[in-house]
Amino acid sequence: MASAAKRLEAVYGTATPQIAFDGVTLVLGGKTIIENLSLGVRPGEFLCIVGASGCGKTTALRLAAGLYQPTSGKVNFDGQPMREPRREIAIVFQDYGKALLPWRTAAGNVSLALEAGGMPSAERPARIEELLRTVGLPGHAGKYPSEMSGGMQQRLQIARCLAQEPKTLLMDEPFGALDAMTRQGLQDEVLSLVAASGATVIFVTHDLDEAIYLGDRVIGLLPHPGRIGIELSVNLPRPRDQLSTREHPEFLRLRRQLFDFIKATEQ
Amino acid sequence: MNRAALLWRVASFAVAAGFVALWQLIASLKLVSPVFLPGPDRAWAALVRGFSSGDLWSKLAGTLEHMAYGWLAASIAGIAIGAIIGSSRRMRTYVAPSLEFLRPLPVSAIIPVAIAMLGLTQAMALFVIAFGAIWPIMLATIHGFAAVEPRLYEVARSLQMSRLAVIFKIALPSASPDILAGMRLSLTVALILSVVCEILAGLDGLGHWVLLSARAFRSADLFAGVILLGLTGYVTSVAMSLAEHRLLAWQAARR
Amino acid sequence: MRANSAKALVLPLAVLVAFEVWARATHLQSDSLAPPSEIVMALFGAFADLSILTATRDTLFSAFAGLAIGTTIGLAFGIAFGISDTLDRLMEVTVEAIRPIPSIALLPIALIALGFGYRMEIVIVAFACVWPVLILSRAAVRSIEPRLMEVARALRLPSAQRVWKIIIPAALPRIFVAFRLSAGIALIVAVTVEIAINPLGLGAGIMLAQQALRPDLMLAYLVWIGVIGYALNVLLVVAQNRLFGRAALSGDGA
Repeated sequence: MASAAKRLEAVYGTATPQIAFDGVTLVLGGKTIIENLSLGVRPGEFLCIVGASGCGKTTALRLAAGLYQPTSGKVNFDGQPMREPRREIAIVFQDYGKALLPWRTAAGNVSLALEAGGMPSAERPARIEELLRTVGLPGHAGKYPSEMSGGMQQRLQIARCLAQEPKTLLMDEPFGALDAMTRQGLQDEVLSLVAASGATVIFVTHDLDEAIYLGDRVIGLLPHPGRIGIELSVNLPRPRDQLSTREHPEFLRLRRQLFDFIKATEQ
Repeated sequence: MNRAALLWRVASFAVAAGFVALWQLIASLKLVSPVFLPGPDRAWAALVRGFSSGDLWSKLAGTLEHMAYGWLAASIAGIAIGAIIGSSRRMRTYVAPSLEFLRPLPVSAIIPVAIAMLGLTQAMALFVIAFGAIWPIMLATIHGFAAVEPRLYEVARSLQMSRLAVIFKIALPSASPDILAGMRLSLTVALILSVVCEILAGLDGLGHWVLLSARAFRSADLFAGVILLGLTGYVTSVAMSLAEHRLLAWQAARR
Repeated sequence: MRANSAKALVLPLAVLVAFEVWARATHLQSDSLAPPSEIVMALFGAFADLSILTATRDTLFSAFAGLAIGTTIGLAFGIAFGISDTLDRLMEVTVEAIRPIPSIALLPIALIALGFGYRMEIVIVAFACVWPVLILSRAAVRSIEPRLMEVARALRLPSAQRVWKIIIPAALPRIFVAFRLSAGIALIVAVTVEIAINPLGLGAGIMLAQQALRPDLMLAYLVWIGVIGYALNVLLVVAQNRLFGRAALSGDGA
């Protein structure tokens, strides 16, 4: 544990990480899902977590969200222990179909976050319109989620998360259920939204290319129990570009390294 | 409504009119004794007479009142109790099985118990109607609350919503299709129990009216009462459909 | 599972024990309540002199006879409406005009036409049972895989055989669900008619016990009626699962 702290210090200097896992172990139903995980995410960083299915990457995200409490160890947010979810941390769930309120329109769904934040009702419409425009859904305010495509629903969920004005955005395979074209478009939009808001991001995915394309840093988890197996810094120039970034030699080198790692864990 | 649907509707009304004509024919030819079967002409005359003298108005109002009070009380209590039981897993394990056991009980069997406790009174009728009507609503609410998408509760947690806000903004709307379906079922139960209680306790209402008419062999008045009861059932159910349609517009979009 | 069924018993047992203790402690004298022990004794008594068994026979006879008639009528119309869209549309107004009449409103008509006894009760039960069967069997016939109907047409089956060999077997799981619902309704309506007016069966028995100021017997009847309702329901659910397995469950939502 001391080594973990030292390593964090080496990487970040003395600045407090926004989210810090310190020797976190989680046991659910007698099974150890995550074991002795230590990890720091500095403010404004874009961290991607990859791994084979069942490696606990989603669980790690839920610990960061405060939806789970660690069995032992600590999760800190801005130096404070996380005891419950908080509004400064927004979660984009993979299953957008389940995370949106089907009985509220697009505007109503965004409004939910504003209501929870206590914004007076007179100020909401303007803010809702602005947020829907930001995520590329202007003119869809009156539609119900069921009348929207998967990509639009996921944009809507992102809009609701932005309405929380989060310091941290947790994204759980947000584009996993979308087709390739929609996915690439949304990747670029998330990058520009994050750049504009300066939010810290933890992004869980099983798509290695996506992780390298988006992240400042990529962590690969080993399964049973979940623990860190590989950690790569991504030194690719920003803003990133779907064509040139993906052809960059550094991208290909990282991709190879990550691919070998995942392959090894599956055996 | 498009042209074809309209034509079908007209044809369908024509068929219904044909049945009424057949009824008139049977009655006019006295194929069935007029003591039992008045023709539609006599039933209509009885309706007009009843309304112009005000008798039927007050009977109809009586039945509607019994039904409405009992049903509203059942709705409020049923949703509240159902919400409490449905939103707690512990309550569900301990209480729900007992409710499932009581559910197939013919609710009218509670009438003698209610009479023994409250006598042949208005209070007895309201108790019985509410008791009968509460089950579908309560069970539907329990089911609706238990079936709320867990992901939505996580959304609520991450937004740090208050318990009250979670109930009113997440759980209740999510359970509303179930609750409304339960309320619709209860409406029929409430009407039937209103009639039974009026018959038993001699309370002012259509149930009492049809029974007295039958005892005096005034078959036209009897049929007038039955027609009004059918209309009451029809109108309340249509009103409920409209309300459901209104409140659940988001579900129509889903299909 | 076992722990859960034990937990399910906690509440009813607690209520019974509390009630018994309270009734004894206060030396309960009431026209409407009796301690559980006396209710059990009264139930045994009613079994011993066969009165409750006779009443059960009368109620179940009326309920099942009405159920049989109502199901037959409902099924015939339901299948006809399901097969022929024309017939269904032409009859729509007529059906929608008769269906909302609460079954119990027919009671006075049946009373003057048929007098007290089984017949009037059976007629009212039958009326109540027609509608769920009609509506659900119509829906069941409509949802039959169109391929099956094409097969019937290709085989040039005469329409009577088409109904017997293709439509009824294909729609049977959902028709059984309708039958199950109707069976519950039949029992409820039979008991209700007896309580309201007809001097026979369990409903009359419970009314008599109330008028005789025998709360123990009245509540014994109530418990017994509950047991019968529950047993009928369990029996039909088990039969449904045995006969059709999971196939029938899909119709439950209808």
